[in-house]
Amino acid sequence: MRITSPGDGVQLSRAPQFLLASLRGRLEVWVAVLVILTAAGFMLSRGVGFSIGLMTLFTLWGMLAISLNLVLGYTGLLSVGHIGFYGIGAYTVAVLTTNPRREFLGDEVIQIFAWPFFAALPVAVLLTGVIALFVGLVFSRFRDDLYVLASFGFAIISLNVFVNWQWVTRGPFGIHEIPKPAIGGFVFNDDLEFLALALFFLAVVAIIAWLIVTSSFGRVLKAVREDEDAVEVFGYRASHYKLAVWVISAMMAALAGAVFASYTSFVDPHSFILLESIILVAIVILGGLASIPGALLGALSFVLLEEGIRFIPLLPPEHVGQARQIILGVLLILLMLFRPQGVAGRFKL
Amino acid sequence: MTWESLTRRARPGLVLAIALSLAAVAYIAWKIGESPSQALQVTINGLNVGAVYALLALGFTLVYSTVWFFDLYYGAAAAMGAYGVFYLRSGQAADQAYDPGNSLLNIVFGVVIAGVAAWALHTAFYERFRPRYGRTLLRTVGAALAAAAGLYGALILWLPDHLHLTTAPLVTAFSGVIVGLTAYWLLRRFRGEAANRRTAAARMSAVIGLAAGGAAGLFVALRPEASLYLSWVVSCLLAGCVGLALYRGLYVLILLRARSTLIMLVATLGVLLTVSALIVIIFTSTTHALPESLGSQPIAVGGATFKAFAVFTVGCAFTGFFLLWLLLYRTSLGKVIRAIGDDEQVARVVGINTTAVIAIVFFIGAVYAAFAGILTGQDLAIQPRMGLELLLKGWIASVVGGIGGLYGAIVGGFLLGLVEQFGIWDISGEWQDAVSLLLLVIFLAFWPKGIIPRT
Amino acid sequence: MSAQTDGRDAQPAIALETVELEKSFGGVHAVDHLSVRIPRGLITGIIGPNGSGKSTLINLLSGTLPMDGGTVIIGHRRLQTIRAHESPTNGITRTFQEIRLFPQITLMDNLLIAMTRRSVFSSLFQRGRGARRERAEAILWAIGLWEKRNDLAEELSYGQRKLLEIGRVMAMDANIYLFDEPFAGLALHMIELVKSLMRRLRAEGHTIIFVSHNIGIVRELSDYLIVMDSGELLAEGAPEPALNDPAVIEAYLGN
Repeated sequence: MRITSPGDGVQLSRAPQFLLASLRGRLEVWVAVLVILTAAGFMLSRGVGFSIGLMTLFTLWGMLAISLNLVLGYTGLLSVGHIGFYGIGAYTVAVLTTNPRREFLGDEVIQIFAWPFFAALPVAVLLTGVIALFVGLVFSRFRDDLYVLASFGFAIISLNVFVNWQWVTRGPFGIHEIPKPAIGGFVFNDDLEFLALALFFLAVVAIIAWLIVTSSFGRVLKAVREDEDAVEVFGYRASHYKLAVWVISAMMAALAGAVFASYTSFVDPHSFILLESIILVAIVILGGLASIPGALLGALSFVLLEEGIRFIPLLPPEHVGQARQIILGVLLILLMLFRPQGVAGRFKL
Repeated sequence: MTWESLTRRARPGLVLAIALSLAAVAYIAWKIGESPSQALQVTINGLNVGAVYALLALGFTLVYSTVWFFDLYYGAAAAMGAYGVFYLRSGQAADQAYDPGNSLLNIVFGVVIAGVAAWALHTAFYERFRPRYGRTLLRTVGAALAAAAGLYGALILWLPDHLHLTTAPLVTAFSGVIVGLTAYWLLRRFRGEAANRRTAAARMSAVIGLAAGGAAGLFVALRPEASLYLSWVVSCLLAGCVGLALYRGLYVLILLRARSTLIMLVATLGVLLTVSALIVIIFTSTTHALPESLGSQPIAVGGATFKAFAVFTVGCAFTGFFLLWLLLYRTSLGKVIRAIGDDEQVARVVGINTTAVIAIVFFIGAVYAAFAGILTGQDLAIQPRMGLELLLKGWIASVVGGIGGLYGAIVGGFLLGLVEQFGIWDISGEWQDAVSLLLLVIFLAFWPKGIIPRT
Repeated sequence: MSAQTDGRDAQPAIALETVELEKSFGGVHAVDHLSVRIPRGLITGIIGPNGSGKSTLINLLSGTLPMDGGTVIIGHRRLQTIRAHESPTNGITRTFQEIRLFPQITLMDNLLIAMTRRSVFSSLFQRGRGARRERAEAILWAIGLWEKRNDLAEELSYGQRKLLEIGRVMAMDANIYLFDEPFAGLALHMIELVKSLMRRLRAEGHTIIFVSHNIGIVRELSDYLIVMDSGELLAEGAPEPALNDPAVIEAYLGN
């Protein structure tokens, strides 16, 4: 459903329009330069260890943002449920690489899985893909508001499973001692080594996403976003395309989750609450809809915000999370008012 | 259309509907056979939560069927309702850890009330009186009245221990107007429409209204124990004012350039994020209990225990439904609301002030949400997450019932409550949300128009 | 599917036939047991008063609306139901009465949508370059929008959008082209352009069906005429005799 706006007929005079257009053209560049400079300055002032941590967080959110941008920016489906796939990926790796039943069985230690990370990773991604396929079979029939509601539902159901399926996930206690990735005797133990690995995964995700959006498939996705019924007349099954991009995007989110699990070496349901998913939506819209660099920009700005907010004077430490939430909420409102495509976006909601 | 074509088209959904209903009936019969008293208990619980969901769905559906986008502030309104009661009555609550009287908050709400009052005065009187009194006078008087309203609102918030005194004028005015109008309507109805009788009726009903209002105000002012219920009213009105202010001050601006409903959804998501964070900052994220209301003592009937408050809740749901039905189908305002829901452009073209009417709709919707939040808070406890949870439940209930219809909202609410409670009988209560979302997904997949589709 | 197989048809002169085609909206028969034959390789005009079911007929043939009953025969295929995404298989493409472009993608991409692979999997490995792009550019030249090829479709004026939509169906490899009110709201020079594009399609051996209100254009352009009223066939045949049919005159004057 489209809302026709009464302001449609307003015409700006030519000169300001031109000025505005050139300013708009530069805004994304300015913001990107500003954010990157801030990040660089911030990292320089806080030291190497801090910088590595910040960059690793950036890779995680970057992967998630690119993954959601495929669905939200390119296909126009507002999914608030992506954190569920992130969690499934993280938990699969956690369960497969450690032995969560250890503590239930008392002293008797039975190593059931204890797989290496690089064996668990493809399983996590594929498993998430299969789950996403089944979820998507139902979801690909919805659009607009109902899609949002259904994805809300998915986020909450998956959180419910993480909390309550204690036999596997150990519930609120979480899974500890997830080993670092190791390949051929080389362990990514050092933070810098891990960052390199995470950056590699981010590059993989970004390249795959770029290949997808520049292919004919990506073009059809954008057309589905614009007019689902019209695209059917040209012979495309819109629901199949929605399903396919949903599965691909879920697998990317699962990859991010897997990296997250081995990075923190600890997962618990608290990392996968609905709020995180809403924050992810805010990141994608902030950075720019239907733009991969935009997604990365959004992720970097958010990481900066999250880490930088601690240094705001007069802000009580217990309210840091709420302050972050308020800033994102206000940003969302302002973006919807003035720039509905986000900073570097190509699609206006 | 022939019978064959009818069955051919309806088959998958119909077969599934029959199968599911049979399964549900069998399950319930089995459960009753297993333990009749527990089945009664679960039914009562289901009706109790279902009533809250129905109230939520009613307000949600009213707003949605008018503007056709989902207002996620609705969840924040539910939490604000409950926390408003807590703010006003925490002196009376079991845990007195929280110290009310946040001056900044009082000022903010005072400003909001002043803004809403200014808007209401402007919309109602400005154009009508401008030729006679001129701009300057009207603006001065309007600003003074609005400021007075804001000060009065802030005063109520500032003196929560004297709520029965501070709200007495409000009660006087409100019940006076209601009784007076009702009397006028009755007199006109039963004593004829002639012009001379009209003035007589107006005079008589004014006297009746004044008397009734005065009596009600006096009654309230002498009863400090009524403070809890007065705080319900104040809290609902505050949430409603914020809803109205958000629509008039923010949503209208976004709607000017909105291309899709998603943009409104995202903007209201921003509102929800902000308000729920503010609630955590002001009230901390711990769980609080509201002071006990009447009927909080459990009573046992046929092996099941429940509070009389549950009966009250169910009654509220039906009253809420009835009031909304009266509004929509028996008043001229309702006619206008429905016309805007059908086509806002056309409604505007025929000279309806759509912005004003929609603002009223947002007010009513937020009041319903806040009241549902209060009922939940009185029944259980309050915590900041309740806003999001109630939002989801109200949303699900309205979709399951049939989005955009009143009957669907109430049916969907009670169905959701019952399904949820029966669903978690054998499994742990933590799966409650999963059960309701499963119901939603089934409905979205097979009957996206809900149980009672809007015609 | 392709013109070659249809060439060996028993009735080579008929491109499309409807038999007792039916569609009603809440008891109103928009298309009422309609049986028409559309000749191959010609321009067929459909006219009729408002609400006579012309657009509904186009919507039924393209699968935008599901049909209630009857059969549509396209080549060798006898179809009881048509679904929108089967249009390319049926060799059908269409424009919409109210323009339905993809506003927030470029003109070029709007055209390429009509040309690329339909299956999800193979479209992932196709990039829409080379021959397809050249053809899209040629079409953009033909409709005079080549310079705007990298602009977003939403930035075009009404007439340009209408032209782009016509260009989009020309980009598709179809046998039967359905145009729903292609001339409505166009300036004179654009009307001439659209007419010439339609004649060009006819010269390439395609079948064209168009709906219009403008009797002058219909008389001038169409080789065959179908007159509808209240969902029923009023007259068909060569334009002049059909337009002079007493029933047709009555329907128009009585309106």
